[in-house]
Amino acid sequence: MFGWTGTILRVDLTKGKVTREATDPQLARDYLGARGLGGRIVSNEVDPTIDPLSPSNKLVFAPGPLTGTFAPSAGRFDVVTKGPLNGSLAGSNSGGTFGPEVKYAGYDAIIIEGKAAKPVYLWIKDDEVEIRDASAIWGHNTHDTTDLVRAETDEDAKVACIGPAGERQAPIANIMNEMHRAAGRTGVGAVMGAKNLKAVAVFGSGAVTVADPERFKAAVIKARNMILAHPVGGTGLKAYGTDVLVNILNQTGALPTRNFQDGHFPNADKIGGESLAAKVLVRPKGCFSCVISCGRVTKVDSPAYAGYGEGPEYETAWAFGADCGIDDLNAVTAANYLCNKYGIDTISMGATIACAMELFERGIITAKDTGGVQLTFGNAAAMVEMVRQVGENEGFGAKLAEGSYRLAESYGHPEYSMTCKKQEMPAYDPRGVQGIGLNYATSNRGGCHVRGYTIAIEVLQNGAVMDPHVTEGKAQLDITFQDLTAALDSAGACLFATFGIGGAELTEMLAALTGVDYTLDEFMRIGARIWNQERLWNLKAGLSKADDTLPQRLLSEPIKTGPSAGEVSHLDQMLPEYYALRGWDEQGVPTKAKLKELAL
Amino acid sequence: MIVKYFATIRDLTGETARPIEGAPRDVRELLQQLAQRYGAPFRRAVFAGDELHDQIILLVNGRNVRYLQGLATTLQPDDEVSIFPMVAGG
Repeated sequence: MFGWTGTILRVDLTKGKVTREATDPQLARDYLGARGLGGRIVSNEVDPTIDPLSPSNKLVFAPGPLTGTFAPSAGRFDVVTKGPLNGSLAGSNSGGTFGPEVKYAGYDAIIIEGKAAKPVYLWIKDDEVEIRDASAIWGHNTHDTTDLVRAETDEDAKVACIGPAGERQAPIANIMNEMHRAAGRTGVGAVMGAKNLKAVAVFGSGAVTVADPERFKAAVIKARNMILAHPVGGTGLKAYGTDVLVNILNQTGALPTRNFQDGHFPNADKIGGESLAAKVLVRPKGCFSCVISCGRVTKVDSPAYAGYGEGPEYETAWAFGADCGIDDLNAVTAANYLCNKYGIDTISMGATIACAMELFERGIITAKDTGGVQLTFGNAAAMVEMVRQVGENEGFGAKLAEGSYRLAESYGHPEYSMTCKKQEMPAYDPRGVQGIGLNYATSNRGGCHVRGYTIAIEVLQNGAVMDPHVTEGKAQLDITFQDLTAALDSAGACLFATFGIGGAELTEMLAALTGVDYTLDEFMRIGARIWNQERLWNLKAGLSKADDTLPQRLLSEPIKTGPSAGEVSHLDQMLPEYYALRGWDEQGVPTKAKLKELAL
Repeated sequence: MIVKYFATIRDLTGETARPIEGAPRDVRELLQQLAQRYGAPFRRAVFAGDELHDQIILLVNGRNVRYLQGLATTLQPDDEVSIFPMVAGG
């Protein structure tokens, strides 16, 4: 096999046993890798009805065929599992340098099964694999964990690990790699903690084999140049990072504010990318093989929030900023650093605090619940303190760690949780941007923007423009984005490469790398297959059409101020067409004909 | 009427916003007025020949002129115009 390594590593933590098996070439062809192959493994091997935190769940770390090559931004990997927030076939994608190292060590996937009797970490050095005692490392934050594991293994080892939040199995816990990159969403860190697995350290001395090196090199050079020539891929993201989106979403009137009570935040500029560049940026940073360098190395000097790290990204600046009514960039950045160290998803954390702020202002929770903290919108110090309490498992933090749905439900008011399928929605108001609302509602893993990022067309004018306020054409737009992203995720490429290249260039690189005669049509069909695979499994897990919805607030309460004032989401106008175009019946169940077409 | 600048447009104009004097009838007239003020680099950024540069996102009261009437989109005295270069994130 070319591109793929041909080997999958299986680690049974209950038995302490490590085995290897051959990667099935047909599965690799049909699902590529990463999210697709990882999803196929979970689909085949995990009962959809189990408790996600039980030893019966599996956690799959999987790079894609492109991962570790010099294709542009080809450093991604996925963590795939049954997610604890909502029981879906869930997972998260991450950058940095961990994914390529897994390929160099010789693996298309690492399947973690069972549960260790006591805390352990995995040390993989090519074909030498050890399950090592992590008792001395358990309890440490992700930065110290990375240093400690490297000290015991190799200073050049790449480390993916959980922090205290994952150890306590918080449903909003993430998995960090290289200290500052996150597999953020769906609570993957909780599953790792439930297995008593503290870290995975990898060192690889191999290489990725290429079927047609000359063709691959030509395709890679062409793709890199296209990205460099693009205003966003080439210069924009490096200059301002993703946080540049704050102002354009605000000026569109779709920046969710104070727990989605509004869509416009008057002081948005103070937490946007322009302010970040002026106030806290040290330098841009890129992941493996990346010309884009959207990452931010940052530093906060203000004594109250002093720190050094990476981020915040747009979603984070929104979650701790506008969603909490906060315009203090230093506080937002400090909250981001804390989440990275404790191993917490920044989107879910900020949105959960925003939910708590609304419950507090409505008198549903009080200072007695919060230990005297005035948890009101705009109170930056309170917001940072709440993150700290979640990380340390103190006070009200224990409740916030459950995520906003369980928090709000425990107080009898789930309607104030701004979630889809119990996962917090990200930084785009569906009332101001119709297509992203449909994506939130239909996303297999719950409230998610990135796996169907229609914002690129509805707001960012990337190749085309569609009015964000209309519903016409949005069902097909969502499907195209969802399928393309599923295939791209599974190939191992970064979504930001699409600011420059498209499916045709990705397909050409894949074909040259693997020797498989992929066409663009097949690439998109792979994406549709992966989407439907996730959907099928979710239906067996108990999710249904009833879960393909948005909070009532977004369906019936208009945005109050700003350019999208008066708008609500018209999900009911888009969902039936979405089901029909997907080849699903009126209950959102894939038809036999569709499954046959996709060879599912 | 006010025009607001974002990202690299702030570098081209040296400011974040400007109240607009006179009463430009439409977006074309406004941009020509601004190009007079800020010079050739700004003109090159916003115009491609006689058309709006495809790397510019221009909103009038939050609405992208590309699904309104483009450069012919008429302006009212209390409008808010926002000018962005193409941006991205996630």
